[in-house]
Amino acid sequence: MIHLENVSKVYPNGTQAVKNLTLDIADGEFVFIVGPSGAGKSTFLKLLIREEKADSGSIHVNGHNLMTMSRRRVPYLRRTMGIVFQDFRLIDKMTVYDNVAFAMRVTGHSEQTIQKRVPLVLRLVGLGDKSQRKPHELSGGEQQRVSLARAIINKPSLLIADEPTGNIDPERSIEIMRMLFAIHQKGTTVIVVTHEHELVRHFGGRVLSLKNGTVVSDTTLPIRYGAVKNASAQKEAPTS
Amino acid sequence: MKLSGLPYLLKEGFKNIWNNRMMSLASVVVLMSCLIITGTAALISVNVQTLIAGIGDDNEITVYLRPDYSDVDSIALSGSLSAIPNVESCHFRSRTEVLQSYQETLGDNIYAAMQGDGNPFGNEYKIRLHDLSLYEETVRQINALSGVDKVSDRSDIAEKLTRLDYFVTVTGIWVVLVLGIVTLFIIANTIKMTMYARRFEISIMKSVGATNAFVRIPFMVEAMAIGLFSGLIASLALIALYEPIRQAASGIIGMIQNATLPLQNIWLPTLLALSGSGLLIGLLGGMLSVTRYLNKEGGAILGT
Ligand SMILES: Nc1ncnc2c1ncn2[C@@H]1O[C@H](COP(=O)(O)OP(=O)(O)OP(=O)(O)O)[C@@H](O)[C@H]1O
Ligand SMILES: [Mg+2]
Repeated sequence: MIHLENVSKVYPNGTQAVKNLTLDIADGEFVFIVGPSGAGKSTFLKLLIREEKADSGSIHVNGHNLMTMSRRRVPYLRRTMGIVFQDFRLIDKMTVYDNVAFAMRVTGHSEQTIQKRVPLVLRLVGLGDKSQRKPHELSGGEQQRVSLARAIINKPSLLIADEPTGNIDPERSIEIMRMLFAIHQKGTTVIVVTHEHELVRHFGGRVLSLKNGTVVSDTTLPIRYGAVKNASAQKEAPTS
Repeated sequence: MKLSGLPYLLKEGFKNIWNNRMMSLASVVVLMSCLIITGTAALISVNVQTLIAGIGDDNEITVYLRPDYSDVDSIALSGSLSAIPNVESCHFRSRTEVLQSYQETLGDNIYAAMQGDGNPFGNEYKIRLHDLSLYEETVRQINALSGVDKVSDRSDIAEKLTRLDYFVTVTGIWVVLVLGIVTLFIIANTIKMTMYARRFEISIMKSVGATNAFVRIPFMVEAMAIGLFSGLIASLALIALYEPIRQAASGIIGMIQNATLPLQNIWLPTLLALSGSGLLIGLLGGMLSVTRYLNKEGGAILGT
C-alpha cells in the first residue's frame, strides 16, 4: 500500500519537482502516471523507491515509513518492489540468464533457488529459449522483457516502471504492457509512467495525471482485459 | 600512468575486464615501490641497530691504576667500581698480565728485564657501561676513586653509530608515515576508479535491494588483493636483493659482514610485515573509497 500526504520535494538547485502531493494507491491496483515533461513523474517514483527523500509531508510504502527510515533499511524497502527502466539497464557482458539471476545473487539467494526460479520467470516473459544470449543480441522489446523478468524475480508486491515502452516500437510496446497487466492480474501493484496515451486508452486502469508536481486529475477507466488477451493472442498467432 | 588511462577507462568502463586488470596492475606497481622503499628503510635501521649493539659489546673501557698502587688495594677497588650505577661489569687484569700481552712487542730481553719490580705497568680494570651516552659522568665518578691514574677514551665509531641510528630511526618513521599515506590514497583512488567503472552494476544492485555490505564485498576483496599482492612482491624483491647488497656493503666496510643480520633472520619478519602492511593499506584504502562512494554518488538509480 502506498500513502502520500502533502509531500513536497525541492531539488538542491531550487526546482520544486513535487508540490503538496497527496494520494493513495491500494494493493493490487494498476496505475498509469501521465503528464507533460517536467511534471514530476520520475521524481514521484524516486520518492517511492527512496532514491530521493521528501522535504516535507509523509510517505508510507509497503509498511515502511520513508520519512523516518534509516539508510540501512532502504535495501529492505527495495526488496518489496521491482523496477523497470526506460533504457532496460541490462549488463552487457552477462547473459540473459545471469542478468536475471544477478538480482537474486546480490540479495543473498542460494544458487539452488536461483536455478529453479530464473528459467521459470524467463519462460513467463517468453524468453525461455534465449537465456544464453547476450543483451546486444536481442531486440529492444526482448531486452525490456529481460528487464521485466529481473524486476519480478524476487516476487515484489509493487512493480514500478518509468516509461518502459519509451525505447520500443509500438507493436512491441503492447507486448510489454500485456505482460505488465499479466503480472498485475496475479496480485502485484503496478505503477507505470508513460507518455503514450494510446496505450492508456487501449488497456484502461487508474490514470493519475500530474502537472507542476501535483495531481491534476485522477480517473479510473475499466481495464479492458479483452485488450490484454487480444494482445497475447496477437503475439501467439503464427506470423506469415 | 593513471591519468593518461583515465579517459579511456571511463569510456570503456566495466565492460572491459582487461582494462580493470591494467589499472590494478598499475596500483600494484606503485604500492609495491612504496613498500620496497619502506622495507629498505626498516632493514637499514634494524641492521644499524644490530651494528651498534655489536660494537657496544666490544666497547670496553680500560681503567688504568697508578703503578705504585698496591695489588691488594687494586683488587679491593673492584667493589667501588661495581658500586657505580652505570658500570655493568668490571674485570681485573693484573700488571703481570698486562706486561705479558706486550711480550712479543718488547722482545725477550727487555721483557725479562721488566719482570718483577721492573714492571712499568700498573694494574687495570676492563669495564663495560650500561649506557654509553653517560660516559662523561661515569668517568668523573671513576676518576674520583683513589688509585685511578686515567680512563681510556670511548670508541668514536660507537658514538657516530648512535647518532646514525637516531637519524635512521627518525627518517624511517617519516618515510613509513608519508609513504603509508601515499599508498593509502593510491589504493583508495584505484578502488574509486573501479567503482566508477562499475557504477552501472552498482546502481542495479542497489535498485534490487542489495545492502551496502553486499555491494562493498567485491571492491574490498579487490583492494585487499592488490595490497596483499603488492606486499608479497615487495618482500620477495627485498629478500632476493638482501644478501647481494649486504655482501657489497661489507666489501666497503669490513666490519659490516659479521655485525649485520643474515638473511635467515630477516626473511620471515620482512615477508609478514610487508604483506601485512599491504593488506592493511588495501583494507583501509578500500573502506575509505567504498564507503564514500556508496554514501554519495552510489545512491542514483532511476537516472533522469
Ligand atoms: N536531480 C535533479 N536536480 C535538479 N532538478 C531536477 C532533478 N531531477 C529532476 N529535476 C527537475 O525537476 C522537475 C521534475 O522532473 P521529473 O524528472 O520528475 O519530470 P518528469 O515528469 O519525469 O519528466 P519527463 O516526462 O521529461 O521524464 C523538472 O523541472 C526537472 O528539471
Ligand atoms: Mg521522467
